[in-house]
Amino acid sequence: MTDTKKYDTNFKNQWCPGCGNFGILAAMKDALAAREIPPENLLIVSGIGQAAKTPHFIQCNMFHSLHGRALPLALGAKLANRDLNIIVNSGDGDCYGEGGNHFIHAIRRNTDLTLLVHNNQVYGLTKGQASPTSSMGMTTPLQPRGVISTPINGPALALTLGAGFVARGFSGCQEHLSRLIQAALSHKGFSMIDILQPCVSFNKINTHDWYKERVKEMDNPNLNDVKKAMELATADSDRIPIGIFLAGESHDFISRIPDFKTRPLVSIPYDKQSTTAVLESVQSL
Amino acid sequence: MTIDMTIKIGGAAGQGIQTVGTLLTQACCNAGYHVMGVNDFESRIRGGHSFFQLRISDVPVNAPSHQVDLLIALNEESWHRHQNQLKDTAMALIDSGEPIESDDRAVNVRFAKIAGQTGSKLYANTVAAAAGLSVLGASFDLIESILTLQFKDKKQGVLEKNMSAARQGVEAVEKMHLETRPLSKTSAPKGQVMAGAMAFSLGAVASDCRVAAFYPMSPATGIMGNLTAWTGQIPLVVEQAEDEIAAVNMTIGAAFAGVRAMTATSGGGFCLMTEGLGLAGMTETPIVIINAQRPGPATGLPTRTAQGDLEFVVHASQDDFPRFVFAPGTLDQAFELTKKAFKLSEQFQVPAIILADQYLVDSLFLLESKFEPENEINRFIVTDSDLDEPGSYHRYQVTPSGVSPRALPCQGEALVLVSSDEHREDGHISEEIDHRNAMVDKRRAKLPDMLKQMAEPTEEFPDADTLLVGWGSTAGALTEAVHTLRQQDMNVGCMLFTDLWPFPAETVLKRFNQTKRIIAVEQNSTSQFARLLRVETGMACADSILKYDGRPFTPNDIVQAVQQMENR
Repeated sequence: MTDTKKYDTNFKNQWCPGCGNFGILAAMKDALAAREIPPENLLIVSGIGQAAKTPHFIQCNMFHSLHGRALPLALGAKLANRDLNIIVNSGDGDCYGEGGNHFIHAIRRNTDLTLLVHNNQVYGLTKGQASPTSSMGMTTPLQPRGVISTPINGPALALTLGAGFVARGFSGCQEHLSRLIQAALSHKGFSMIDILQPCVSFNKINTHDWYKERVKEMDNPNLNDVKKAMELATADSDRIPIGIFLAGESHDFISRIPDFKTRPLVSIPYDKQSTTAVLESVQSL
Repeated sequence: MTIDMTIKIGGAAGQGIQTVGTLLTQACCNAGYHVMGVNDFESRIRGGHSFFQLRISDVPVNAPSHQVDLLIALNEESWHRHQNQLKDTAMALIDSGEPIESDDRAVNVRFAKIAGQTGSKLYANTVAAAAGLSVLGASFDLIESILTLQFKDKKQGVLEKNMSAARQGVEAVEKMHLETRPLSKTSAPKGQVMAGAMAFSLGAVASDCRVAAFYPMSPATGIMGNLTAWTGQIPLVVEQAEDEIAAVNMTIGAAFAGVRAMTATSGGGFCLMTEGLGLAGMTETPIVIINAQRPGPATGLPTRTAQGDLEFVVHASQDDFPRFVFAPGTLDQAFELTKKAFKLSEQFQVPAIILADQYLVDSLFLLESKFEPENEINRFIVTDSDLDEPGSYHRYQVTPSGVSPRALPCQGEALVLVSSDEHREDGHISEEIDHRNAMVDKRRAKLPDMLKQMAEPTEEFPDADTLLVGWGSTAGALTEAVHTLRQQDMNVGCMLFTDLWPFPAETVLKRFNQTKRIIAVEQNSTSQFARLLRVETGMACADSILKYDGRPFTPNDIVQAVQQMENR
């Protein structure tokens, strides 16, 4: 493990003891240190939920935004400054529920950022309602007779949409997760890691031990095989493969924009001449 | 005025009404007249009924008239629909199967058939335009120059075919004469023809807007369309989002990262953006939102005009935060207030909303003086070198003015922390009472200085017994109505608002204290401005003149309404 102290903040953390978020936070700091991204060059955008509080505990620039809206906001920031290193911390409700449409379109755009979906299959911040990834039949205070909709499989959905980098991790396999995050950060284009994590307070089914028995680190020799990736993403829940499912070549959003200046928009000084040229082009006076 | 004529071109969607309208407007402008043109169309691509109404005059005109001097009807329906607006001296050129004999103002001209003879029925609108110009007295040279201007960039052959269609059109009306033939005398152009949408787009460019995100929605889309055409020439990205929620959040993200950013929509899209508006308010991120109003609620009348969103945009979002709301009424104001919105939004780190409407963005007006670029753009931003200790920078530092030094993320040692939850000075979330109160007070502390930026309403005859009060795009109709009423010896003036929020209550109270009677004139059904005026100043309007049918006010609408009030 590399020295991660420079990413520590003194903001008091109030996640429940044993929360899977701690493992994810540690893996993030480790990956950031390994990739040598200094805090001042890092922007973390998050939505709302327990996962979305993550950037408060990492030394970085931060936009803790609205529920579900982190991805379009991150895209806007990237348009303004193409040099930004952006990580989006989201949860299963934030990303696949409230932000579902944005998730779909972020993949279409192939925005160059890394999306970490903290997937604990339950709503934590609002105290235990079912989430879009809760399993069928799971009972909660608000779904006392059990969830009657099928869960969303985030990685499989991302693969059908043509995402370039799709992985699944587990908060209990920290070093493995750090390696996944490092690979995702190196990927040019949209990269997502669906991170399984227990919710010690509200999910009594998918516990730390439940995952420990099932997750299996796997080596995927062919990272360009979408079919194989889909197989891994949709594997039976008795044996959950974790690792990189797909890491293909991709042409990211910014590089698709014709005429986009190579300098970040934010660094280009105001130019009266080009402004005048546009004003003149439609004025005949 | 010696010349004040209205030409109406009617037909079905898909018949090229707008093209004829543009041609006629351009021709009359080039001939030295003041012009203004209104587009009236349905939310459909083919069929139905559309019209374009052009008004020309030797004095400035900024509102449509209720009477028609020349009707160009590309189908019979247009005749039936607009017949009752024709003046006695009017002429109607009608493409109908059977000549209309019941009215001697009606002349049968088979535009489509003539066009067919020259090659294709597609040119029927050019035949009609040329015929119309001809009865207005235009020489073929003028017609030719306008066609060249319009079609010179099109595929080879298009201009020639249009020219030949135009010749046939002129021939078909050779022996017909309107009593007044304004185009037989020409002088130097008084300005240039411009749609309201263009003035907003140019305002954004002149503000150095770099990111514009939108979801298509009539009548705002044209503003974004103009911007799109300039990407590549200036550092500007225009992105079509998956929905208005994404559009406003992209705008916020871009502004946060340091460029000027905007979005444009109509009321329905603004509903979806309301959540993001609150985010901009809470995080003190400067963004500009143009709401080109149309009648609602829900889908309403997509292609028509209204002023029904005033109270909505002033109050939109939960809880309170400062914002600017501007409502331009002319091309010049559209350009200037767009610039003002961008500037003040950054100066005070608040969202700014511009209330336009379908009438203002889709209509053609005469631009008389050129829009000029700024020499420099003040961004109200700090960098590490402006900070004593960039390492301990606090984005929401409490200051007497409420405005905190604004650093940009990833531009130096200063870390920028922003939260949509209530937060501390350093940007971390907090539920502590002291933090909450400090932040609410800090945001609110901006209001007195924001108020100082609000321009006073413009006025005509402010000492009159009766003051008509309006805001935004009704300015043209209101001003003309006042002049007409005064010619009828009525002691009437008007006061026109553009800078609406924060509401300049003190200024208004000072201005109004001599007035005996105030009448609000608005394009909504409950007189929203009158209500705002009462809430903010305690002053009550004696009456309201309201129009909510989706069509713009004509000066005559207002004149008649005032006369009726007088006669009650």
